[in-house]
Amino acid sequence: MKYSLLVLVFLVLFNGMHVYANTDNHAHAAKDTHIHKEMSDGSIIQIEQAKLNSFSEGLEGAKILVVSVKGMVCDFCARGIEKTFKRDTNLLKIDVDLNSGKVLMAYKAAAKIDESGIAMKIRDNGQEVVKIDTLQ
Amino acid sequence: MGIKSSALLVLLFLSVDCFARPISYPGGYTFMFRSNSLRDTAYLHYSPTSRNAVGVEAVSDKVSNDDYVYLRYTRLLFRKNHLKSQGNLYLNAGISNDGFDNFFYGVEGDWETRRIFTGFGYKRTETNQIDIEEKYFLAGVAPYLGDYGDLHTWLMVKFKENSYSDASSLYPVIKFFKGNTLMEFGYSDSSSWDIHLMYRF
Repeated sequence: MKYSLLVLVFLVLFNGMHVYANTDNHAHAAKDTHIHKEMSDGSIIQIEQAKLNSFSEGLEGAKILVVSVKGMVCDFCARGIEKTFKRDTNLLKIDVDLNSGKVLMAYKAAAKIDESGIAMKIRDNGQEVVKIDTLQ
Repeated sequence: MGIKSSALLVLLFLSVDCFARPISYPGGYTFMFRSNSLRDTAYLHYSPTSRNAVGVEAVSDKVSNDDYVYLRYTRLLFRKNHLKSQGNLYLNAGISNDGFDNFFYGVEGDWETRRIFTGFGYKRTETNQIDIEEKYFLAGVAPYLGDYGDLHTWLMVKFKENSYSDASSLYPVIKFFKGNTLMEFGYSDSSSWDIHLMYRF
């Protein structure tokens, strides 16, 4: 009986979380601290304004990438991504926004951006890239 | 609860699509210390990829009053990434320096969002003296959502049992992590302290 009750609680919890996990319209999306930047192809990326401002400070001329990542839900998961990319000498700065599941990267202006290489490195770390946007 | 029941639970969990979470990042080392009613262990592993880890674990066995070392392997069997969640199903196995009669194997699974964590584990340890089965379930919530680099806190409840003491216990667990360091503390009257410390580098 004890085990049945435990299993029942877990299943209810998991089903609830499954719905939550696949729903992207979470509460913080409605906050006015977010900007919805429109890209040249018409797509929209959602970034927290304060986070982006803080990240971009002193990076005039750099190529800033916003990488949307699936599965990056904890600090530990993201730490591997940071360590991997910091080995790249063309990378000026990297930061993680766990709330939106995005990695912010700033590359030297002259650096050639290899999007498939970035996606592969993140896949090797255990997560999946959904989209890569270049802001400037 | 036998192996059949455990297998059924695994299938139930799989059916709601709830596993994923990497071992460590490629090239990363992890040091872990664990202490519970059965043993104290110190474990160092290396992850050549995010799906594999090999390491050595020093064990102070409180049941047999013996000390030995396991050569361990961990394999990430299954991973599922969602936009807001991640989960893993791991296979663990180890063989002791005492010989082929002293080994263990088991599975561990977890699924988490930024707010909710769940996990379970099954482990069978065989030694020259006694064979022990252990099982646990863990569920918790984050009382606040920290940003990257902040101190993260989890309040959890753990249910565990083992065939040696033939008793089960349900107790609170608190977990903190910041940067590369994780600390987890649980306590129950019946099985005393359950401690897990981890550092990645």
